[in-house]
Amino acid sequence: MNEKNILKELEDIVGKDFASNRSGDLYIYSQDPGASIPRPADFVVMPNTPKEVQDIIKLANREKVPIVPMGGGLTLSGLVIPVKGGIVMDMKRMNKILEINELSRFALVEAGVTSGQLLAYLNENHPSLQPPIPDAPPSVTIAGNALIHGSGYLSQRFGDHGAMINGLEVVLPDGELYKLGSCAVSDYWFTRGPIPDFIGLFISSFGTLGVVTKLSIKLFPKPKMRDIVFGLCKDPKVLPELISNITFMDVAEDILLGIQDKPDWMKGYTFIIVYITGESEEELNNKTKILKKMYRNGKSRYMKVPKRIEEIFLEKPQFAAKAADFRKGGGFEYVGAFIPLQLIPEIIQIGTDISLKHGIVPTLGARLIGQGHAAMFFISYSFNRADPKDMKNAREALHDTNKAVLEIGGIPWKAELVGQQLILEKMDPNYKKLLKSIKNLLDPNGIMNPGNWEVK
Amino acid sequence: MTLKIEQDWKDIVHRCFRCGYCKFTYDYSDFNCPSYKKFRFETYSTGGRLWLIYGLISGEISWSQDVANVLYACSTCGNCSENCRFDKFNDLLVDIIEAARAEAVEKGFCPEKQKALIERIETPEMYNPYGEQNSDNEDLKKEYDLPDKAKWVYFIGCTSNYRQRNLRDATLRFLKRANIDFTLIDEHCCCSPVMRTGQINSVKDFISFNIAQINNAGASKVITSCAGCYRTLKKDWLKYGADYDFQIYHTVELVKELLDEGKLKFQSEYNKIVTYHDPCHLGRHMDVYEVPREVYKQIPGIKLVEMKRNRENAWCCGAGGGVKIGYPEWSVEISKERLEEANTTGASVISSVCPFCRTNLSDANDKFNMNFEVIDLIEIIDKLDFEITDTKH
Repeated sequence: MNEKNILKELEDIVGKDFASNRSGDLYIYSQDPGASIPRPADFVVMPNTPKEVQDIIKLANREKVPIVPMGGGLTLSGLVIPVKGGIVMDMKRMNKILEINELSRFALVEAGVTSGQLLAYLNENHPSLQPPIPDAPPSVTIAGNALIHGSGYLSQRFGDHGAMINGLEVVLPDGELYKLGSCAVSDYWFTRGPIPDFIGLFISSFGTLGVVTKLSIKLFPKPKMRDIVFGLCKDPKVLPELISNITFMDVAEDILLGIQDKPDWMKGYTFIIVYITGESEEELNNKTKILKKMYRNGKSRYMKVPKRIEEIFLEKPQFAAKAADFRKGGGFEYVGAFIPLQLIPEIIQIGTDISLKHGIVPTLGARLIGQGHAAMFFISYSFNRADPKDMKNAREALHDTNKAVLEIGGIPWKAELVGQQLILEKMDPNYKKLLKSIKNLLDPNGIMNPGNWEVK
Repeated sequence: MTLKIEQDWKDIVHRCFRCGYCKFTYDYSDFNCPSYKKFRFETYSTGGRLWLIYGLISGEISWSQDVANVLYACSTCGNCSENCRFDKFNDLLVDIIEAARAEAVEKGFCPEKQKALIERIETPEMYNPYGEQNSDNEDLKKEYDLPDKAKWVYFIGCTSNYRQRNLRDATLRFLKRANIDFTLIDEHCCCSPVMRTGQINSVKDFISFNIAQINNAGASKVITSCAGCYRTLKKDWLKYGADYDFQIYHTVELVKELLDEGKLKFQSEYNKIVTYHDPCHLGRHMDVYEVPREVYKQIPGIKLVEMKRNRENAWCCGAGGGVKIGYPEWSVEISKERLEEANTTGASVISSVCPFCRTNLSDANDKFNMNFEVIDLIEIIDKLDFEITDTKH
């Protein structure tokens, strides 16, 4: 079938206004704000219902045209760049919040609901609840973040956001609609089990197995008060034990680390940012006292910061994208390495060395996940989008970092194509075999986001 | 901050990260970019537009009518500037889009409908975007017994003079009743519509003509009842290198000043529930939010209620940026959304201080049978008794 006929079929499915092969639309959907090389899309389509998603996938499968599902499009690692062309399916018209269950604390949302939308909706209608949202602009989607194994607010206490998924509705390449989790058995999308758990197949697989149309995500009680207790650490070697101890005491809602060479006064320190919550000032004061003592005992010290700094960190979501203008260039990308706590000192050194080697000001940090079970440690590289050499330099820095992370025992998160191949190289051969078998079973024509997680 | 026409905005455009804050209200509860909300492709967000513009600059894409159409499907309401978090350049977003439109015009890709604006404005005997015979305003001067020279010039603006005469006449009556020493000039278009649509070749000539007319009238102050003219005279004319000594007022600023000085006292009531629509050209573009509200609140009997999206987060009426002429159906859909929002406030009156907003809100009100009274603040004041307690201003 030629392009004109495919466009016509897409228009028949979603309406003329929401299918496009106009050059401007294709240009935008052929790239993302990270450092990955753009690759041309052939069509962009915006479905509005699961049925439309099914029809598009049936068309793609019949015509063997690649499909790339897209949420906010802000992974930065090019996961929604159509590696082999085809149809980019922007899910953001599917933006209904279908259910908020106050008692069992979950939200059932369509795949295009943004984190900003859910946050605002809960603030207005269910102020006692808070959603897990990423350190990303409010335009990212709840589904996209959870499905890339995202982390963010509440990850320290409750784990990564992928672990907070209760259920999925997903369209597989055969065009059929599948319900996964308790919703496969019950009307309540309240839990992942207790049945064989297939949800994990769709986490971190980057749309290579199916298109998620609905998702149930856990919500959490919103404490009355929230504050931050900042700490300052000179010697990174003390960090693993200090952080482990803080998580052991269960006083922290979230824990962040920040390490950067600019401004100058920050150089040489790790900033520890511990979010505490409580129902009263007294509770916050007690937690603050505990943390001050822990900082002292952990060869670090408590740091009082100006109100304006505190406000920056208390904003939800944080304005993490500010790194994009560090080089007045509109771009940054990072390696987000999942690491065990003991690797923190080593990765700080690695990140700093690689940044300096590539002439980039070291900008590193971490978010603790699951009460000390892991950290998502990021090493961020800003670049100038208008300078191809600078972008290439950033890509090389990312590549060096991915390699170094894997060498020390960490795993790059939401890795770009090259990073995925590095992970696959190191992966247990039977895991790879299983990955390939599942892919071939579910997607025999290889239409789902081809190029990603490609076992060669 | 204003982007000077000569400034190399091309060095700024790639700094947009396309994070998407520009699409939202301040609390993320809704999309507040009319274009993104309508078209939904990322291309139609301000970030998408800036990336397209960068693609054109870098040569990664070529000019085409489709690409130009994306640039023109924007009411330039400024919500993006308000919500963009990059404070080193967020003030420039609308200017960049307008500069890119000027490039589109130069390359021959100005959409046909918008071309009518410049064709009419440049037609001798018209000089306005509505294609009407130019009014030199001499008849009005006679009718209102206005001098040739005065302290103030009332710059009527094309929309008020050719489409919203009730608003014009209410302003004229107010100025007379308030003993303002004012006159009218043979004004030509302020050029807002052509600036907004990138058709800027003759803008400087129009500015020079209007400034000469104002100077000839001996005025030290210019007052306008149009938010678009206000922005254009006060901000854009300077951007185009204009040099003038007179002060620019919006009518509502004069009313507020008179009230503050105790020179104006309302003596009758307007017993209605009113919601105020912030015109983009007065609010986001000029930071004037509270002055109109303070005037409404001083009118006896008025109950002023706010729509959920107000001030910096106001939803655009949809008339600006060439959208009214380029996308007439969509334009009133945008106003319809505003009226629906107004409907939740319990107000029976939606009021603003801009003839362009008044036109579009009225069009939507009529088209969708929304049953609002759409009225400008100066028209409300026109209905009131008031006392002026000082000598001539």
